[in-house]
Amino acid sequence: MTEPRLVHNPLLAWRAIEGEVVIISPEDSVVHELNATASFVWMQANGERTPEEIAVLLAAEYEVAPEEALADTRELVAHLEAKRLLLSSPAAEGSRHG
Amino acid sequence: MAETPVMDRLIRRTVEQHLPLNVHFDLTYRCNERCVHCYLDHEDYGEVTTAEVKAVLDQLAAVGTLFLTFSGGEIFLRKDFFELLEYARQLHFDVSLKTNALLVTAERATRLRALGVRRIQISIYSADPVVHDAITKVRGSFERSLRAIRFLKTQGLQVKIACPLMKQNLTAFRSVQQLAEELGVPYILDLTITPKIDGDMTLLALRNTGHDLLPVLQDPVLNPRVKGGQEVMQSVPAVGSAVSSGLESSAYDDIPCSAGHNSCYISPYGDVYPCVQMPMPTGNLRQQRFEEVWYGSGEMRRVQSVRESQLPVCSTCSIRQYCERCPGLAQMEGGDLLGAYERACELAELNARLAGVEHPVSALHQQQRAAKFNGTFSAVLPGTGSIPGLVRIAPMRAT
Ligand code: SF4
Ligand code: SF4
Repeated sequence: MTEPRLVHNPLLAWRAIEGEVVIISPEDSVVHELNATASFVWMQANGERTPEEIAVLLAAEYEVAPEEALADTRELVAHLEAKRLLLSSPAAEGSRHG
Repeated sequence: MAETPVMDRLIRRTVEQHLPLNVHFDLTYRCNERCVHCYLDHEDYGEVTTAEVKAVLDQLAAVGTLFLTFSGGEIFLRKDFFELLEYARQLHFDVSLKTNALLVTAERATRLRALGVRRIQISIYSADPVVHDAITKVRGSFERSLRAIRFLKTQGLQVKIACPLMKQNLTAFRSVQQLAEELGVPYILDLTITPKIDGDMTLLALRNTGHDLLPVLQDPVLNPRVKGGQEVMQSVPAVGSAVSSGLESSAYDDIPCSAGHNSCYISPYGDVYPCVQMPMPTGNLRQQRFEEVWYGSGEMRRVQSVRESQLPVCSTCSIRQYCERCPGLAQMEGGDLLGAYERACELAELNARLAGVEHPVSALHQQQRAAKFNGTFSAVLPGTGSIPGLVRIAPMRAT
């Protein structure tokens, strides 16, 4: 079975400003700010990557242990999904391995 | 938007680093209303094309603009409006709209919602259709705008009523308050009738005098600081500028406003100004890329270099805290970006008086009185320059 890919909620407004992502949800005008590592994860969530794949990139970028990167990514993703900022989308058939 | 720690940090960061966080883009000056106080020329002299707007949006997204206001003229008169909106949303802008809403149907409201538009500001001049329609010069416009507000509300969109107050509708402000409450939307009463964008001052005749505005300035709901008033929890002030982005922060404390610091205006002809109320050409996006204008224009840098503490007259003003000085209007009405101007002083003195300050006098008025007194004194007794103390004290007693 294909793993879900992470994608931004399309209703949001967001911008990476000097490497840090600011997100606004239109329904309630709540502004969210991500730190540099969370912003890195956010930028990788392009509808083509799973949390595991993003964690690999995070580990390489910040030179941290893969397990640590995976745990942090999962925690962040759970948090962003709970706020409906990130969504999981099933991968398009055959678009990626995994 | 109310100031929050996150917003405050964002504003501070963008002011310090001179990033164009907030852009107001007028897509057209054409309009299907003919409001008596409108500062625009509605002829189309060759608006930016769909491709040109999209190219500008690409550039804005790349330099970090997040808040984008599409305004006009009437935005829905552009046949490509939804195409542009969709494009802007694909680039993740936080989009707000300013419209008279005459062309907003239920179907269009649904589309706006689906595209993630955050906020829509609609001008309503009175709850009395006759008064409203007399200002817009379009019969039935009140009913159509109101119907549109309901469509938009049904879609769960954030709607805000903007009501510029002029001679024609001064007494309507309570009815607009009431209407907004009935509709469940915030509102802003704007006391600023501005000169035309080409510098023509004839519209200033529509302004209410400070004295006539007293009922508005004294209203306890609109002005919670007035004694006996009840504190109202609103995310926006009920009296203010409908032009302003509404973003507030202490980061703006030593600068006159956001114009040229982290916000700017783009006209339907691609001209870039620091603000719609500061129509000072700094460059044109048909000839230059946005970042060339924003970072390279000498005029933009001049606006950006202004500090409140260096304003020659206003920095010495004892009632500065009651003043809503707009540098754009200082330029247009007073001829000096750094200067004081009559209307701001008049309203500041009124506000100060209402807040309990005894005999408030603006720095500009002090100077004018000093000069007048000095002139009279000199004329009567030439060579009295040795007693400047008298000259300085006299105007303070004069009120
Ligand atoms: S120039 Fe005037 S209207 Fe524009 S942002 Fe500054 S204070 Fe507001
Ligand atoms: S009241 Fe007049 S002099 Fe004082 S700060 Fe405002 S514009 Fe300047």
